[in-house]
Amino acid sequence: MNLIKKHIPLAIVFVFGIMTLASYYVPHRKSENYLEWINIWQNIVAAFALFLGAISLFYAHYKKIERKVDGWGYSLFVYFGFLVIMVAAIVSDGKISDNGKITFLGWSFNNIYNPLSATMFSVLAFFIISTAYRSFRIKSFPAFLLFIAGLVLMLGNIPLGEIIWDKLFAWTNTTIADIKNWIISVPSTAGKRGIMIGIAIGAAVTSLKIIFGIERGYMGKD
Amino acid sequence: MKETLNKLLKIDRRWLFLLLTFSILIPIIKPIGISSKSISSGVQDTYNFIEKLPEGSTIILSMDYDPSTAPELHPQSAAILKHAFKKNLKVIIMTFLAGSGGLIDEHIRNIPQQYGKEYGKDYVVLPYMPNVLAALTQMSSDIYAIYDKDKDDKILKNFEMMKKIKNYKDISAVIDITGTALLDSWIVFVGDKYGVPVMGGVTAISQVGYGPYLQKKQLKGLIGGMKGAAEYERLISEPGKGTSGIDALNIAHLLVILFIIFSNIVLLILKLS
Repeated sequence: MNLIKKHIPLAIVFVFGIMTLASYYVPHRKSENYLEWINIWQNIVAAFALFLGAISLFYAHYKKIERKVDGWGYSLFVYFGFLVIMVAAIVSDGKISDNGKITFLGWSFNNIYNPLSATMFSVLAFFIISTAYRSFRIKSFPAFLLFIAGLVLMLGNIPLGEIIWDKLFAWTNTTIADIKNWIISVPSTAGKRGIMIGIAIGAAVTSLKIIFGIERGYMGKD
Repeated sequence: MKETLNKLLKIDRRWLFLLLTFSILIPIIKPIGISSKSISSGVQDTYNFIEKLPEGSTIILSMDYDPSTAPELHPQSAAILKHAFKKNLKVIIMTFLAGSGGLIDEHIRNIPQQYGKEYGKDYVVLPYMPNVLAALTQMSSDIYAIYDKDKDDKILKNFEMMKKIKNYKDISAVIDITGTALLDSWIVFVGDKYGVPVMGGVTAISQVGYGPYLQKKQLKGLIGGMKGAAEYERLISEPGKGTSGIDALNIAHLLVILFIIFSNIVLLILKLS
């Protein structure tokens, strides 16, 4: 049992991990062929993962409905939404439009998915406006710096900002775009680069730990 | 006085929501027409790059966004597509986001006809592909090994414009319009590794994070948010939704700034009193 549950998965991860890592640096036909083969396998595994994800989602919501937890009624919409889009996709043969005419799937996209998705994201604007008024307190120097950077970026993001800046600060001989570009290319880039390097080193270390069997979280508990 | 100021600070948030609603609605109903005076360097670089491509070159336009970020990104992809067609470039449209199918469809129903472009001859649309890294890597050696058919299940190789395309060597540029981190993948796995020039279009909020790539020229150009879209529309002399949406953006941004300043002034007065 230990062989199937432990040793074989560890061996698979080690062999394919090393080979895939090496193939990135080997510009040879065999290496390219191997990558093509792996890509096909990746797609197959991804398809199964999608299928498993759907089952897991339905099971989780089924449990919510069964236990009648708070907001269980919303879980019904998971099934309802899935069914509507599924039927629309089957009826329309997976096409959004056919010879320039909108299909049932296209109609569902334009009139259900599109407004729902846009509404969810638009709600952010209301939270931002509420937070800006009620929570953004300039109580310290770092908070003041954050406010100034935010102010410049917001003004730089709108044409009205350019007009306001030119009216008030034309004497500085600097445009709001210049200051915005400086913030993006100097302090922001420095911070972002540090974060990116940190993430990359972390990802490389974690990957090596997985390949060499030190990190085994992906194998589950038993 | 103190009580009134305290009340002002704790104002019911629904009043703020109402104010925001009107500040967005009114400019949409009655546009003010405040347009950008300058062009951002990232937008200008993107425009210049596409402008300099020889006629008949093939570019990839990856539309990796869904309706949630469409107000900012859809005008960007429309402007790029219009520019490419004006320049007689061939365009491969693709996506790694399942929710973008309808948005791609909207473009291809409206834009190519304006420029007399034909499907298969001037542009093709690849189907949604879930595995980004596999697809990006695979396309380096043979596009058809992963995309054998187009979005309508027709053999991709058989289209006129695809006859001279095999892999990234035949692609002049990639433009990824996205509200996700997919642009990073295009830069790392396609731009850096295979030397394909990569440009991007992102939401205004993500724009700041691409500084390192722009500085090192790993990213040849970047369009940021609705303002970027409006600027690009101005460069190609084709005003679209970016230009018309900029008024609402102006007022909403200004409102946020005014709210922050006002609430902090009130707080300061309260502290001093």
